[in-house]
Amino acid sequence: MKFILLVCALLFLQACSSKEVTTPLITEDKTSSSSPEEYTKECNSCDEDKNELTDEFDNEFEDEEKNIIDPLSGYNSMMTTFNDAVIIYALNPVAEAYGYIIPEPLRIGVSNAIKNINFPVRFVNNILQGKFQNSSDELERFIINSTIGIAGLMDPAAKYKNIPAHREDFGQTLGYYGVGPGFHIVLPFLGPSNVRDSIGIIADGYVSPLINVKDIVSYKIPDNLAQTIGITTLYFINRTSLNLGEYESIKKDAIDLYPFLRDIYEQKRVSEIDE
Amino acid sequence: MLNKIILFCLLSVIYSHAIEEQRIQTVMDSKVKKVLDVLKDKKLSQKQKEQKSIRVMDGIFDYHTMAQISLGKKWKTLSSKEKKQFTHAFEKKIKHSYVDKLRLYNNQKVIIKALKKPKSNRITLENQIIGKSDTYKVIYQFYKKKKKNDWYIYDVRLSGVSIVQTYRKQFSDFLKTKSFSQLLKSL
Repeated sequence: MKFILLVCALLFLQACSSKEVTTPLITEDKTSSSSPEEYTKECNSCDEDKNELTDEFDNEFEDEEKNIIDPLSGYNSMMTTFNDAVIIYALNPVAEAYGYIIPEPLRIGVSNAIKNINFPVRFVNNILQGKFQNSSDELERFIINSTIGIAGLMDPAAKYKNIPAHREDFGQTLGYYGVGPGFHIVLPFLGPSNVRDSIGIIADGYVSPLINVKDIVSYKIPDNLAQTIGITTLYFINRTSLNLGEYESIKKDAIDLYPFLRDIYEQKRVSEIDE
Repeated sequence: MLNKIILFCLLSVIYSHAIEEQRIQTVMDSKVKKVLDVLKDKKLSQKQKEQKSIRVMDGIFDYHTMAQISLGKKWKTLSSKEKKQFTHAFEKKIKHSYVDKLRLYNNQKVIIKALKKPKSNRITLENQIIGKSDTYKVIYQFYKKKKKNDWYIYDVRLSGVSIVQTYRKQFSDFLKTKSFSQLLKSL
């Protein structure tokens, strides 16, 4: 008898707990508590809870007063203003016009093709990080997309065979082996970077077929610096035309542009290296 | 008898957690779908779309906790009136930013991926937004309120960037040189 009662009690408790869960989540059309008065109601009941939680959250988030070593902050801040002007007054209008002339499916094709040609960078860096399954995925993608995907214009590997791309660059490879980011550097035109990732960009340049390097000509597409810049510019214009408004939207969240962009760049890199 | 009780307690704990986790996934799934439907609805104006999609997501975001974490140590020094003002301003800011992002991802596909539970009172839910040229990873982070069984979102990570962490850093930098009332104004 006791046993049955116990089971009933347990089931009852369980039903309660699962019901409770549904309440906050399921009430779809619950209007927001957007006036300050309503907060009073809410906060009186939850302030104790909050105090307990504060410490836990404080451990979870990075110390907000942590000082970042930023010896180039003056230059970086200036370069951020320069890059910002380039994006707003040159890249965006050009990308808009480009997007107006060239239909979107073709622009997506160009984006796919450029990614496809850059396959050696991802392939090599996945191998360097011991991610052999990813490298073999990359190889398979390259073979399928270069042939059935018409020189990489389409991405049948992802669409029909569900093989995702695994973006890795040499900056990530260095990070994977414990190399710290070093101080932050804002590169002209290319945007936020740091010492480690700048070295990474140079190393990847040797591998990438889209960047010419003196004395290595075997599989490089551009023959000289001007052609490299041309292809890189096309890449940026094409990418911007597919994501118009994205930069402005991110920018709106900034109180002070340079530290904001630096912070999100470094956070993003940490998470990319962790994967 | 005692053994049985312990076993049942254990089982019920495991089982009830399983339900919670499933709930989060299905509810988030339906909410995301709802938002996408709202965004694709051609009958609605841009403003209506924004209001509707905010309403869908509203109940599960804990703006109060987000505001508190984003201020860090400064929070404890505020009067309760200031706390209210700040939370109110912060909620507006977050919603505005959210709506602005939604505008960009009008016709994109969202795939709900893995749900993970790194701690007993934390759940993360990973979404993938398939854009025109890139794929973006969005991770919703839930925490469980103590004493209750309610799960709320306290942070969202977009491509590895934590929204709350970013505000936390920005507010702290701002307050190094300027006052709290100036911060309120700038929000």
